[in-house]
Amino acid sequence: MMSFNDHYVIIGNGPAGNHAAKTLRKKDKGARITIISDEMIPYYYKPKLTGFIADEIAQKDLLVTSLESYKEKDIRVRLGQAVEQIDPDSKSLVLKHMETIKYSKLIIATGSRERLLPFMSGYADHLKFITSYTDVMDYKEKIQNAKEFFIFGGDLVGFKFLKMLNSMGKKVTILIYPNAFWPYNLTEDMLDQIFTSLSQFDVSIIIKDDISTIDKKDNGSYRIKTLKGVEKTVDMVFSFNGLVPDIDFVKGSGIDTDYGILVNEYLKTNIDGIYACGSCAQIYNPDMKSYSASIGWPNAVVQGEVAAYNLLGDHKVIESVGRKYFDLEGVKIKTTWWGDINDASQE
Amino acid sequence: MKRNHLYSKEEKLFQDKNKIYSAQSVKQIVYSTDARDFGQVATSIPCQEACPAKTNIPGYIRCIHEKRYGRAYELNRSANILPGVLGRICSRPCEFVCRHGEPDNGLSVAICHLKRTCADLKPVSHRIIEGLYAPTGKKVAVIGAGPAGLAAAHDLAVLGYRVVIFESMENPGGMLMYGIPEFRLPRDLILLEINNILRMGIQLETNTAVGSDISLDQLGKEYDAVVVATGCVSPRKLDIPGQELENVHHGLEFMKAVNEGLTPFVGDKVVVIGAGFTAVDCARSAVRLGAADVSINIRKTGEYMRIDDSEKHEAQFEGIKTYSLIQPSKIIGKNNKVTGIEFKRTGMEKIDTPPYRISVPIENSEFIVPTDSVIAALGQTPDVKKVSTRFSGLDKKGHQTGIPGIFAAGDFVTGSSDVISAIAGGRKCARVIDAYLIGEKRKQTVVRLENHVTTDRPRSHDFIDRVGMNTIDMKERLFKSTNEVETGYTDDQAHEESKRCYLCNLKYEIDPLACIYCSACIDVAPKDCIKMIADVPVNPDGTYGEYRETDDWNAVVSIAIDHANCIRCGQCLSVCPMDCISVTKTELIEIDT
Repeated sequence: MMSFNDHYVIIGNGPAGNHAAKTLRKKDKGARITIISDEMIPYYYKPKLTGFIADEIAQKDLLVTSLESYKEKDIRVRLGQAVEQIDPDSKSLVLKHMETIKYSKLIIATGSRERLLPFMSGYADHLKFITSYTDVMDYKEKIQNAKEFFIFGGDLVGFKFLKMLNSMGKKVTILIYPNAFWPYNLTEDMLDQIFTSLSQFDVSIIIKDDISTIDKKDNGSYRIKTLKGVEKTVDMVFSFNGLVPDIDFVKGSGIDTDYGILVNEYLKTNIDGIYACGSCAQIYNPDMKSYSASIGWPNAVVQGEVAAYNLLGDHKVIESVGRKYFDLEGVKIKTTWWGDINDASQE
Repeated sequence: MKRNHLYSKEEKLFQDKNKIYSAQSVKQIVYSTDARDFGQVATSIPCQEACPAKTNIPGYIRCIHEKRYGRAYELNRSANILPGVLGRICSRPCEFVCRHGEPDNGLSVAICHLKRTCADLKPVSHRIIEGLYAPTGKKVAVIGAGPAGLAAAHDLAVLGYRVVIFESMENPGGMLMYGIPEFRLPRDLILLEINNILRMGIQLETNTAVGSDISLDQLGKEYDAVVVATGCVSPRKLDIPGQELENVHHGLEFMKAVNEGLTPFVGDKVVVIGAGFTAVDCARSAVRLGAADVSINIRKTGEYMRIDDSEKHEAQFEGIKTYSLIQPSKIIGKNNKVTGIEFKRTGMEKIDTPPYRISVPIENSEFIVPTDSVIAALGQTPDVKKVSTRFSGLDKKGHQTGIPGIFAAGDFVTGSSDVISAIAGGRKCARVIDAYLIGEKRKQTVVRLENHVTTDRPRSHDFIDRVGMNTIDMKERLFKSTNEVETGYTDDQAHEESKRCYLCNLKYEIDPLACIYCSACIDVAPKDCIKMIADVPVNPDGTYGEYRETDDWNAVVSIAIDHANCIRCGQCLSVCPMDCISVTKTELIEIDT
């Protein structure tokens, strides 16, 4: 297939976006292909970010693809550019810096961002998250210099971060929320199991309690009080409470969204020529009798490829691939949303 | 010294027969009925245009900025008679269109919170202003003491009528008193603002239901006119098997029971069906009744919920989950009590007629959720036959019923809407009745134009973050279920938030005869609001259409400011070398005809 006038735009530079771009180029040698990313780094491996913070690996080791390889495939990559608006009527995108980009077909693969718990929104300015390279670059030096940390929540990245801090000899307190691995609520048994698993590390663990206040002190440290009276003064406070699809810019465009971008089994949105894939897409799964958004690298790769094939006129149906469950300190958690936690624990 | 171009404009305006002039207008004020001025106000001040009661929002926010809370309250009250109430529970159509909330401009101004501030911070010695007319000697009965009935009664009393309100419940307020929970709307505040209305000499007859205690025909004979404002009280039902089971509640009835101090059974697990304010009120009330697991379940997606973000946030804060794209298909029970509910997943589909996007159930997608109670908050419809069996049709615009002398207002006419729409409807109905009984129109709306020499705000105010509302913590919310959750702005917070209003009521104009087309104003404008135009089309209704832009200098007839995009930053004014940009304050006001 050769279509010199087509311009395929992919928003998002993660596994879904990159595999979509790669597939499009493989099948359409003539089209213009552009990847837009709000991050300042080429395609990189997010799970390695904690190792990068601890200086176990260098920045180049994070990269999956170099800038040169985009050039080799004739794929234009625009880094550090956020999409602010989609206008399906004029088939155009408005970037944060007010530039308008026309597309002939569009794939949205923006992945996920941190979930700020509603009752913690008042403390948003005090909280740090580790969801992107940009976050890490903002905090890396401070993390290395800080001595005491407070983590609340405790999702997969959170536990990994905790272990990394522990290996760096930092003092860590973690308050585990039952609903940290949103949208599941951990049962008391699961919490106990996680507690036992984490107890092998030199960390203070708080369960069955909650934050009362977080105050920033004049010297830049934070004073945390819990409802049960625990008080801690720490250098940095991190929140790890799962991820939510990064789709704010889609709202108001006419593309149907719920928790994620609603797509059919072909990963097509309600608007012709616009597809979504990876963890920002929400799909009805007849087997689960529920909507789900996949998480995990292998799922994102396959979804990126399927979205690209279908954009080019194919009719490939998405199937769940990759790991179905994550291991959360010995507790099995499904990699899709809205399932029943009890199903997961029985596997 | 800055030239005053309003004078030359006035000279032009004097030639227009549509204008009305006061003695002041020979100086700096003009009262206009020109369609172009009404059009300009409508497109330039989106908040006021979106408000069903046409509240002068920039005007009262400016008063708050000057810490004139009493004046701000009265500006509000002149459009809606319950500012303190609306400042807490308004559906905020103004904030959805606030220019500050447009892309790249940040978040909308907290208009509703500021409205509340007027009521909270006005001085104790504040003077209520009423422009009373001489008594007409005529009597009007108002059926229903909800927002529409109270608004109609108030305006009729001002116009010189003897008004009696008949209310079927023990207390006045309608949905305010019985539909909205006390933790969102304190009862002493409702009664205070209602008493300010009743002080106009309005008689209130509570526990008197028209249709059973007294007939509409009887009122029709005894009064010169009757307003039916009984609202919407018949609940829409789920119409699914199992809805007759014990512990299946209807939203409004549930709220009514809670607001009367009763404790309807909810159990540990509560499923609420509905996407509006009542659904959220029911869910939050269930939390206060001790439920541990409360969910709101909606057919479409979250963006179609008819509530604002702060309400969504408060529900989430209280641990209430929202499940979208599901619809109930069956309620399951044992020993006549609810034990679960069966849902079907839904998908979104497009249709060619409003509402354009609908939800449709997905085949074989049924699943069961265990629950102790179900609350169906699907809205209400008016119970027309309960008031009279003689109603044959309602003229929604004219407030006329099919029976001479009988008028209708509020939700009874429009169907379930919101409080501000009901108040606007009640006020409009009062005007219609006045014209019917007097035989002439006594008031008209005009555009007041006043020369204004400053921008009233520096550019730095555009970058102030929206000030969040203060709330009590979860412990206090659960300690006493009637504790008001939002505690209002402090004086300093209100002042800070008031700075964020762009003051869209200030109209910036370039005098094309004085402009030298240097384009300095275009260069400094932060938005694409100053345009080179070739033509300004006029719409069939006499208002100006969208500017026709051109980049061909030979076709340019003027450089003009597009008020729909202008954020009133004043940059253009400060750089103009010719002083050819004028500022005019525009206001919709009512005057006697």
